[in-house]
Amino acid sequence: MKRLLRLYPSAWRARYEAEVAELLDELPTNRSMLLDLIRGAVVERARAAWRLLPVNPVPAGGPPMLEHPLQRHPTSLALLALVMVTPTFLFVFVSLLAYQISVPGLATAVEPALQALTAPGWVDLFLLGAPFVAFLVAVLPLVGLGWGRTDGELHLTLSLRARALNLAVLVLCVLLGGLLIGHLITEFMYEAAR
Amino acid sequence: MTEGSGRDPGLLVLISLAGGPKHGHAILLDVAGFAGLRLGPGTLYGALARLEESGLIEALPLDGRRQPYRLTGAGAASLRGRLTGLDVAVRVGLRRIQAA
Repeated sequence: MKRLLRLYPSAWRARYEAEVAELLDELPTNRSMLLDLIRGAVVERARAAWRLLPVNPVPAGGPPMLEHPLQRHPTSLALLALVMVTPTFLFVFVSLLAYQISVPGLATAVEPALQALTAPGWVDLFLLGAPFVAFLVAVLPLVGLGWGRTDGELHLTLSLRARALNLAVLVLCVLLGGLLIGHLITEFMYEAAR
Repeated sequence: MTEGSGRDPGLLVLISLAGGPKHGHAILLDVAGFAGLRLGPGTLYGALARLEESGLIEALPLDGRRQPYRLTGAGAASLRGRLTGLDVAVRVGLRRIQAA
């Protein structure tokens, strides 16, 4: 029965283990005592975890956002996302001009280059995946998740920042991603109908 | 056994210690005597830890291998306030049930 005391947090054990062990020597052992000790260990573990949460002051406009390292470089990450998404943007832009708007002579001019470019499978995968990865890279510095104890209660906070460059890249990524997904769905339905 | 109810282990321990300093086993026997409730060792030491942390009770020097506790001034004031609250509720409840 005393071995159950190992389930308790170390700080609690340092203070009370000897006393409880002494008490257990004096009490008859039964199943309800075993369950009570296990329940007590769960409660003390939960309390120890609660104490580890940071204590926030009473908020004026909500608990403060916890900064993660990525939030310190929003512009760099927006530029990185832009670089990642640029090949897809150029590919989609040229394809739209050539095949949808039908700029005279453009389709003939770019067809061999586009064919050669998309011949390896990984290029297709890169062009398709880049907007989604770039979206994550651009959005991470704008999102913060905060948690802590405020006025005795657990508070979880999702904070969003508005940074013009990051938001512009996000819009570009969403547009490109939407266009590509739309294109894939159209192609799939076309193939299915044949 | 919600906090503030007559079966709250913290309240029962405070009532027990109001009768004088006691160690864990003596508290268990006392609570079983006046409340008819057998507290488990996990529940008892959970309550003792909470009350000691709040400054409502304090540990006395060891008595052999046993650790006695006593009520502090803040503990006595807290107990008085909680019992008064319960007393008002009990009297109102009894008056209403008699009138019904």
